[in-house]
Amino acid sequence: MKSSIFLVILAVLIFAWYLSFLATRLDRLHHRVETSWANLDALLQRRAAIAVEIARSEISDPASSLLLTFAAHQAREASIKDRSQAESSLSGALGILLEISESVDEVIAKELLDELRTLNEKITVAIALHVESVTRTQLIRSKPVIRIFRLAGRAPLPVIHEFEAAIDGQAN
Amino acid sequence: MTSQLFKEKKRIGLVCPYGWDTPGGVQAHIADLAEYLISQGHYVSVLAPTLGEENLPDYLVSAGKPISIPYNGAVARILFGPIAFARVRQWISQGDFDVLHLHEPAIPSIALLACVAAEGPMVGTFHASAKRQKAIFAIGPILEPVIEKLTARIAVSEAARSTLTEHLETDAVVVPNGIYAKRLASGKENPLWTGNTLGFIGRFEEPRKGLALIIEALPKIIREFADIRVLVAGPGDSSAFRETIPQELRNRFEFLGRISESQKADFLHSISLYIAPNNGGESFGIILAEALAGGAAVVASDIPAFDSLLGGGEYGTLFESENADSLATKVVGLLKDSDERNAIRIRGSAHAQNFDWDQVAERIYDVYEMSMVGLGKVTLASDNRSWNRFLGK
Repeated sequence: MKSSIFLVILAVLIFAWYLSFLATRLDRLHHRVETSWANLDALLQRRAAIAVEIARSEISDPASSLLLTFAAHQAREASIKDRSQAESSLSGALGILLEISESVDEVIAKELLDELRTLNEKITVAIALHVESVTRTQLIRSKPVIRIFRLAGRAPLPVIHEFEAAIDGQAN
Repeated sequence: MTSQLFKEKKRIGLVCPYGWDTPGGVQAHIADLAEYLISQGHYVSVLAPTLGEENLPDYLVSAGKPISIPYNGAVARILFGPIAFARVRQWISQGDFDVLHLHEPAIPSIALLACVAAEGPMVGTFHASAKRQKAIFAIGPILEPVIEKLTARIAVSEAARSTLTEHLETDAVVVPNGIYAKRLASGKENPLWTGNTLGFIGRFEEPRKGLALIIEALPKIIREFADIRVLVAGPGDSSAFRETIPQELRNRFEFLGRISESQKADFLHSISLYIAPNNGGESFGIILAEALAGGAAVVASDIPAFDSLLGGGEYGTLFESENADSLATKVVGLLKDSDERNAIRIRGSAHAQNFDWDQVAERIYDVYEMSMVGLGKVTLASDNRSWNRFLGK
């Protein structure tokens, strides 16, 4: 009798430990989703700023300047809902620019374009990290134990934005 | 551009899972990376199992003697157990690192232990690909929560990346292995190795390296080029191997043994064609990248690793794997057409710059930087547990 009570208590304790382990794991993932998004967001803002600067410089012709400025402003001011659309069109505009500007030899222009290129590489990495943390979190949160015990609390389920998928596909 | 990127000095901890004293691709990669990062002004500490205490570089910290474990025909020198774990924890808490870079964290060695023990910005690099890792990847469910702690994952090739997605269901950023492209490009012509010569570097006794395929293709090539010679560089018992070559072809082969780095540069510069007849088991193909950097025109089998490294045939010629006829046709075609050979050689050596340490280390550092954002320093996981905090530890 006594030993069976002991066993039940032990089982409850082990299960409680397991739940706390899962909660820690999930908490770490949620934290990572937030930091990786904050990082990506900051990089995207910087890209928009560079885009405006390029639009004002001699590199781009008036037509693409207009296009760039428009896309950059849209990307900066878009709400979360329209963000994907805005970032994709900025990516497109900058992509075209990078392709046609291989032969630029002005010093300031070159520096701007180089900065854009390094920034683009960083953005690719940042997107990969964010996508990974999001899919990971989604995977863990779909586990029955986590749903039944509401270990995720009130944290919203993270989502992947459309533009991330597009850039990720291009990079590979 | 690099100076601007590396402006912030960081404390970086690298963990090598295999014995430092035994030569191997992973160890060489870590040594090169550590030296590069140090030359950029960072503080670097490498934790690795070592056999002895002598002749170790300054940046190396020994985690103890490795245990030899027979593993898939080869001997893996790895290290685990409670003493090693204590050593890893001590290294992490004393190191005060900004980022940890763990190599092969899915192998039961100290990189995995470090991944369990630490909390904070961690980058993991996965080198291995192919099926031989299946036994270890089979314990995925146990590994999953541990591997999940890595902030970022790097795979050295598309093959390693797909192994990772298949077995552990996580994605990775692909950053290739690094080579010293400039050093290799400075080779001089050695008259002993010029003419119609085919070059091969590697452990020629291993069937998967495919030297036997060159032997099979040779009679066809001789019909067009009577003076063709095959130069084989790399460690192994050449006199025993010579016995396996048909009598009439033996005098075509020259075995050079192991060659130094500068000899390698000269070798790649002098030969007509570099042949990589491997029939599989290659994850990245560092030797192909080196051959391109050394200015050799490359003919390689179309296994996935080579296909992606050579851009589907853009930077070197591909032949159908394990098909001697296909190899002979490509070799004869290229030996006849020296314009095409030169064109492909130039495209190849330009492409090889992408694997230069300047580029590769920068990309690895980008990943470090992205994973350091917002996570603070590396700490011991146990220090952060609420009950330990509660107990006033």
